Amino acid sequence: MKRKDDLMLQKVGGQALLIPLGAKVLDMNGMVVLNTTASFIWELLAEDCSIEELVRAVADRFEVDADLAGADVRTFVDDLYRQGWIEI
Amino acid sequence: MTGTAEYGPLVRELHERAAKLNLPINGIFELTFVCNLRCGMCYARQFGGKRSPVEGRELSSTQWLELARQAKDSGLLFLLLTGGEVFLRNDFFDIYEPLTRMGFMITVFTNGCLITAPIAKRLAQAPPSRVEISLYGATAATYEKITGVAGSFAACCAGIENLIVNRVPLVLKTTLSRFNVAELEDMRQMAHAWGLKFYGSWLLARRPDLQGSEVENFRLSAEQCVELESTDQASANELSEAAINGMPWESDYNFYCKAGRAAFTVNPSGDMNVCILLPKPGARPLEIGFHEAWMEVVKYVSSAPAPSSACLACGERVFCGRCPAWSLMENGTLTEPVPYWCDIARARTKRYGRPSDPNPVP
Ligand code: SF4
Repeated sequence: MKRKDDLMLQKVGGQALLIPLGAKVLDMNGMVVLNTTASFIWELLAEDCSIEELVRAVADRFEVDADLAGADVRTFVDDLYRQGWIEI
Repeated sequence: MTGTAEYGPLVRELHERAAKLNLPINGIFELTFVCNLRCGMCYARQFGGKRSPVEGRELSSTQWLELARQAKDSGLLFLLLTGGEVFLRNDFFDIYEPLTRMGFMITVFTNGCLITAPIAKRLAQAPPSRVEISLYGATAATYEKITGVAGSFAACCAGIENLIVNRVPLVLKTTLSRFNVAELEDMRQMAHAWGLKFYGSWLLARRPDLQGSEVENFRLSAEQCVELESTDQASANELSEAAINGMPWESDYNFYCKAGRAAFTVNPSGDMNVCILLPKPGARPLEIGFHEAWMEVVKYVSSAPAPSSACLACGERVFCGRCPAWSLMENGTLTEPVPYWCDIARARTKRYGRPSDPNPVP
């Protein structure tokens, strides 16, 4: 899966935000706040990644076990998919 | 992991955070000096009919985009495009469209009169977060008495409708003056009939270039202003809400807003200033670099003198919106009392009572 290119990650004073680009402005009605893990995953999704690769990267980066990382990754990816912000 | 934080509180929090770090997250690009209308109360008016006579004095599209790229690297997020009238620039879309791919939250201020169906359609392909149009009256007679241009009311209404048909996010606002306050309710009805949000403001600033202005002739009396803000939600601003809620004045700091801490403006010639109403220090970002210019603005604000002793000792200060820009426009200083604000603060005190007063005057 890979993120779509009509959203851009911006960091403002340490706060990560997803900003809609182009016609996406109409669907989104504002910005989306991402936490640290979500913004890390969003950056990884610039390239095509599998769930397993994301889980491994999150577990390494945040030094958590794979179960916890897996739960976080699945929650976020489900969210992204429902919003139509990634393509599988 | 994602937050759908409410937009207003999120924006406020981001500004607070940016102000602590001196990050320029909020910028105004004044794309042109000229306007196709000639409203007597306008602080920026420079009538240019249909074409800009000052093109040579205004940044080119390439220069605006270079500025935007540098500003983005320094943290710019909220970008307002205004003028004059931005759609007088033939190259508006050469500036606008690349900006929409850079990750800014863009707002466009316009009088709407030049928004034809093709322009609205083009805007809709990558709409700003919000377009704001000023409505100066609910009838052609009143609207055109203020704008001084025959046919402008119909053109404005057509512009609004073109944006609505193309689903471009739109808010209507009005600047209330002696000449149109009687049509406030009708303007609100127009906005509601279009399904649009509507708000009004009665604060009328003089021209920052200190050239002649007819603003005194347009201003409502302080009593009228306070009557409006306390009875009409659409014309209550943040300050009046703070006043009504008795928010304590927290600081002796002269610049109490985010200008020069999180916000800046760049005028059509490329001078970076504290705000539109305070054209200082005139830093030159395209010559010295955006970051250096921003640092000049920060320095100007952080080294500003404190408010005058009269203001610091004033019991009505909690109800007053004076700032250095107002002092500069009204009496040529950065610090001294502004009689227009003194009248408003007095009228507010009379209406709401002093914040510590448990029994405000009803
Ligand atoms: S401008 Fe007037 S009302 Fe405002 S603080 Fe100064 S003296 Fe008081």
